[in-house]
Amino acid sequence: MVTFVIMAVFSVVGALGVILLRQPIHAALSLVGTLLSVAVLFVTLQAHFLAAIQVIVYAGAIMVLFLFVIMLLNIEEQRRPVMPALRWAAYALGLVAAAGLIAGALLDPRQAPDAAVVRETLQGGNAELIAEVLFGEFMLAFQLVSVLLLTGLVGAVALVQRGPPPGGATRADATRADATRADAARADAAGQRSGGRPPDALEAGGR
Amino acid sequence: MTGDPVSWAALAPFLALFGALVNGLFGARLREPLPGIVASAVVAAAFVLSLVAFLTFGERDAGVHVLLWDFMPVAGLDLVVGFQLDQLSLLMMLIVTGVGTAIHVYSIGYMHGDEGYARYFAALNLFIAAMLVLVMADSFPLLFVGWEGVGVCSFLLIGFWYRQKQNPDAARKAFIVNRIGDAGFLVAMFLIYRTFGTLTIAEVNEAVGGFAFGAAALTAIGVLLMVAAAGKSAQLPLHVWLPDAMAGPTPVSALIHAATMVTAGVYLIARSAPLFAQSPDASAVVAWVGALTALLAAAVAFAQTDIKRILAYSTISQLGFMFVAVGVGAYWVGIFHVLTHACFKGLLFLASGSVIHGLGGEQDVRRMGGLRRFMPLTAGTALIGTLAIAGVPLLAGFFSKDAILLATFSSTLLADHGALVLYALLLFSATLTAAYMGRWYLLVFEGEPRLSAEARERVHESPRVMTVPLALLAVASVLVGYVGLPSFAFPNWIEPWLLPATATVPFDYPPLWAEWLLIGVAVLAAAVGLALAWWVYMVQRGVPVTRVGSGAFAGFLRAGAGFDTLYQRAAVGPAEGVSSGLALLDRDVLDRGLAASVTTTGWLARLVMLWQSGYVRNYALAMMAGAVILILVVVLVGVRA
Amino acid sequence: MVPTEAYVALSGVMFSIGAVGVLTRRSAIMIFLSVELMLNSANLALVTYAYQWAEAGMLAGISGQTAVFIILSVAAAEVAVGLGILVAIFRNRASTDVDALAEVRL
Repeated sequence: MVTFVIMAVFSVVGALGVILLRQPIHAALSLVGTLLSVAVLFVTLQAHFLAAIQVIVYAGAIMVLFLFVIMLLNIEEQRRPVMPALRWAAYALGLVAAAGLIAGALLDPRQAPDAAVVRETLQGGNAELIAEVLFGEFMLAFQLVSVLLLTGLVGAVALVQRGPPPGGATRADATRADATRADAARADAAGQRSGGRPPDALEAGGR
Repeated sequence: MTGDPVSWAALAPFLALFGALVNGLFGARLREPLPGIVASAVVAAAFVLSLVAFLTFGERDAGVHVLLWDFMPVAGLDLVVGFQLDQLSLLMMLIVTGVGTAIHVYSIGYMHGDEGYARYFAALNLFIAAMLVLVMADSFPLLFVGWEGVGVCSFLLIGFWYRQKQNPDAARKAFIVNRIGDAGFLVAMFLIYRTFGTLTIAEVNEAVGGFAFGAAALTAIGVLLMVAAAGKSAQLPLHVWLPDAMAGPTPVSALIHAATMVTAGVYLIARSAPLFAQSPDASAVVAWVGALTALLAAAVAFAQTDIKRILAYSTISQLGFMFVAVGVGAYWVGIFHVLTHACFKGLLFLASGSVIHGLGGEQDVRRMGGLRRFMPLTAGTALIGTLAIAGVPLLAGFFSKDAILLATFSSTLLADHGALVLYALLLFSATLTAAYMGRWYLLVFEGEPRLSAEARERVHESPRVMTVPLALLAVASVLVGYVGLPSFAFPNWIEPWLLPATATVPFDYPPLWAEWLLIGVAVLAAAVGLALAWWVYMVQRGVPVTRVGSGAFAGFLRAGAGFDTLYQRAAVGPAEGVSSGLALLDRDVLDRGLAASVTTTGWLARLVMLWQSGYVRNYALAMMAGAVILILVVVLVGVRA
Repeated sequence: MVPTEAYVALSGVMFSIGAVGVLTRRSAIMIFLSVELMLNSANLALVTYAYQWAEAGMLAGISGQTAVFIILSVAAAEVAVGLGILVAIFRNRASTDVDALAEVRL
């Protein structure tokens, strides 16, 4: 019980951090905190293997990927969004949604299962049980996911391939990028760089 | 695979299949003549296997059954894929692979330079594989698999030069007419299963004895099997595909449409011999169809001017002879004639191929003549083939044809069904055979050359890779008849060999002097025919023909005695009418309707397009709003499982 | 004993927060993060119900966790591809402002 409350609080705080924090790095780390809290919740739900996977894959790989990209692209702080109307509409919808979901959960009370029975049936959701089901009942899903992963891999590699410029519009971009790089080099040489940040910052905003 | 050499013959079709796969998959990368060598090698290997099996078969009673794998393990019918290697199937295998090897080697030279070289040999190997399965099958369905397989290969090879429209048309015609026969085969199989409860040939043949002589069930099955045989072996009224099938390369005509595939019908009836022996009505149908076909085809052959079409009608006629033989109950005689016919008809086709090749593509006999001077080897072997088919004594055709005539004369099975009339018809057909074949030979090889200018320049004897098979087949045409010498006076090997594998039917043989008389009559018929041909074409220089040949009757005969016109009016025309009606419906009604729905959809789409602003977050907002509405609905209205 | 509804309610709250994040944030990366949050909340709900149904048998219980397993894999693939797209877009425009990417229309 206590575990649940503490972890629930951490998760919600982390979630709020994701959506409210200015700096992308802070938001990403906040999400990591949320993920770890949810992992603990998984443990309380007799899903030990999944908890481990959550930490290793989700927090350990996916979030790391996010951090790489954030740092690579040097995504910086965001300005205020332009349309307050949109923001208030979003908040309102969020509140309604949360209320609706909580109500939905509370209106459908379930008989809490016998912990001992569950512990024995699930055996902590260990790898053996999951494997038994994954390679048996859900074999098709498993195969499809494999195909999906392969496709994702190939797609991701193909997307970031830097081929020869196809000509036309993008050549302008390439020269612009070159120009900014040249600027950065000049600024570098002149020792005028501020805060280690190249001119081609994000949130260049509207065109 | 047991240690019994006979069972090794079961490998033969797989060898041919392997050759087909190699040539089919990799043929484009192989240079000439490699595909041909590969193909000939596998068929030669199959021949060796068959020969070994044949020689080691010995004095067994029953054949060797080689079980391969389960086919249809269905309740009540546990069908397996297996081969029945007995005297009949081994003999057929020898014919198929022996003549097949010769023709494969011949094709190496004949198809030289053709762009579809590998494709040709792949299809030819596939044919050998299918034909072997056909003659080795132990059950009717497996036989049918081989039956269909040879039909497919025939289609592929007739339409081999598919760019000229008449070739695929001929292939289609062959396949469709064959299909009619196949329908008969299928219904026959249904009846067989219903009557006997099994589809294994050996079991059916054994069970036949439990039925009354002339039982209706047996007759029905027999007639249907004859329908199937008529389709595959080009008998009346399903013979119309064979003359057009000459559109294929000549070696194909030799192998498929003379020596092997077309004899599948005869084989089918010989295989089911016990059934036909128990049913005189079915046998009568077989024999009469055969006799009428023999006569009609022989008459039509006279009016043909294409070197191969003459031989095509001759094949139809000779097949008719074989069917008469199995119809009167002399099953071994029918297979014997298959054997001799394979040799001399294969020879004749290959010789005509040599002529066509030597003249650069000329096929009209009116533009040939005197080729003996230019192509002595071809002419010599062709002469042997002609004499053999005419039934000149001491050559192969004489022995088999005479055996047919004798069996027809002495038949007890069809004694009440006009056996003697059949004999007369056959005798007349034999005379005609000698006559039109004499005509063929004389017009092509003798007399004054009537060649066109280009042909005269390029005429040459064919290369050795083509003339050696000719020589081999010529030798075979002389010698192979000696396995079946008339049994009343000479040792006959083939009859006792085939008897255990077919059926024994009583014959009422005439006294010795009458048998010799009959032989004399047959020889006389051949002599009369040849003399007639000599007189018309050499002595009179063809004058009677030019006077008569341009008349309406000749034209009627040249056009296949009206069968093609009949089918065109009765079947093909109406079918084309229905199909063009449907095409009209499809185009005007369906396509217009679809086009209308397309324009409507486009109009609707443009309407909806107004909603797309391009801003992703607006879209997300809309999605979220929709989701929230759903949540509210679920919570408020309540959805319970 | 923690009632099942509590877990589900928590999951719902996280989901809504994530949804608000998707709508409110301007940079594509941040939107992506919010989507991951939503996915995670769904995972939590699934595991909760897996626990709930475990009484009815092993298969009923473990199926929920297996589904989470699969969703995790899908999320991983999606992140890889999504970030790849992001990088490609960034190379092209030097910006990840989604309002600037107003081209998903005719």
